[in-house]
Amino acid sequence: MREITATVLENKRIADEIYSLTFAAEEEIAVRPGQFVMVGVGGFPLRRPIAVCKAEGERITVCYRLKGGGTRALAREYKTGEKLSVLLPLGNGFYVKESEKKVAVVGGGVGIFPLISAIRAYSKSKQVYAYMGFRSRASVCMEFDMTRGEKLVIATDDGSVGFHGTSVQAFMQDVDEIKPDVVLACGPTPMLRALKSAMHGRNIPVYVSLEERMGCGIGACLVCVCEKTDGAHARVCKDGPVFEINDVVL
Amino acid sequence: MADLSVNLCGVTLKNPVIPASGTFGFGREFDEIYDISCLGGVATKGIALTPWGGNPVPRIAESRGVILNAVGLQNPGVEKFIAEDLAWLKGKTRVIANVVGRTIEDYEGVCERLNGLVDFLELNISCPNVRCGGMAFGIRPENIGEVTARAKAKCPSTPLIVKLSPNVESIPRNAQAAERGGADALSLVNTFTGLAIDIERRRPILANNTGGVSGAGIKPIAVRMVYEAAHAVSIPVIGMGGITCAEDAVEFLMAGAVAVQVGTQNFTDTRACPKIIAGLNEWCDVHGVKAVSELTDTLKLN
Repeated sequence: MREITATVLENKRIADEIYSLTFAAEEEIAVRPGQFVMVGVGGFPLRRPIAVCKAEGERITVCYRLKGGGTRALAREYKTGEKLSVLLPLGNGFYVKESEKKVAVVGGGVGIFPLISAIRAYSKSKQVYAYMGFRSRASVCMEFDMTRGEKLVIATDDGSVGFHGTSVQAFMQDVDEIKPDVVLACGPTPMLRALKSAMHGRNIPVYVSLEERMGCGIGACLVCVCEKTDGAHARVCKDGPVFEINDVVL
Repeated sequence: MADLSVNLCGVTLKNPVIPASGTFGFGREFDEIYDISCLGGVATKGIALTPWGGNPVPRIAESRGVILNAVGLQNPGVEKFIAEDLAWLKGKTRVIANVVGRTIEDYEGVCERLNGLVDFLELNISCPNVRCGGMAFGIRPENIGEVTARAKAKCPSTPLIVKLSPNVESIPRNAQAAERGGADALSLVNTFTGLAIDIERRRPILANNTGGVSGAGIKPIAVRMVYEAAHAVSIPVIGMGGITCAEDAVEFLMAGAVAVQVGTQNFTDTRACPKIIAGLNEWCDVHGVKAVSELTDTLKLN
């Protein structure tokens, strides 16, 4: 974990309200799939937590949705060549055991982006099956980066492309056939709840990456907690963002 | 190279810059980014007699130039602090243990347990985000006097700092009440109670509805309150509220503060505190100030 001044290489719109930001660090930074960064936006007191989509040496790509003033300023003001203050790499990230050879990834909304880092990392040595949900054709992006695995299913809420329905529904149609050793998921809470109930009793570990409003991003301020099933609070930024789905209250 | 050291209640701090309670945990996470032994001290996360779970999420929101938080004093409790963090933190810098409670007995218990073990105790009677305790003790002068006196009776060996709320009728009266109760120093300001609304949902952003406002936008109000407190009492005052750079810290010192705390800026810039320390040294050098302690209470009103 460190704080760096990075240089923006590219910051462009890739789908409806979605931007891809690539920056160069001063040196190579090892980032595990599922880890995130905190990006400083000039004039805003809080950094923005954004999942890493791709990490290639000193080049790191994160994708974000235009949500409020901060992300709009990030899209508008940080052009190629601008300097960017970034804290990274943050959080635990996904962890797949050596023995787990079949990995299913199930994503929705901006939750697809940390899963792209998982597809990139695990498709080299494992069979990766990807189920990615979007609102409609206009929001589909980064298909090229999702096709590295054994299988890719694009699902859209309106059926304008691919499977008509959610990524969870698409995945549950295939789960008995592919028999994954582990499932990695990220997306809106209702989607994660649907996955939790659908996977209940199947004895397949499911790891979810959570999102929460953050303060420091490094575990000090106790702002971004989630409730664990044992009643304790865990820090999403430091103890997570990845948790076993049965360990957290969704 | 100016002398940055300051004397607070007979204890020397190597410089007057202290990260504020609640923004810095017990220091371990920031120590991964920089060596926190450069700091004048660390004001810890609020410590209660037993572990507290805190408020539901969202616990943080942002507005122009400020943030709102409603963490609700989640903390691991005093025994875990002593077992896991105290010795490590003492090896780094001065420890200012922030004390929280729901009852006066809670405050007494934590002060008694930490008496002689830490460099300072900071009595948090000003948190706006908990239902009972917290700010409930810090609004009326008579309550401030009572909780201060009873806490001080339990920590005779450790200087007691009383952290004041800005959400009050009179800062001077409350400052004097704490002094009469036996406070060895004051710190202010805690956060201002605020409300941020998600206009699409027509609901507060924070699960707690209201939260404490902090950050650059509150600085002029905080400087005025620090001036009022410092001129109402004869005990030392620690100033805070919206400090983002060395020049901000100089304002608080001139207004009467002996030391300063930095909170929200730790989120904006993880290295805020060491930058402010370096900046204070540079400011003093440029202005021919040999010791930063010379700046305290040098404001002349127009």
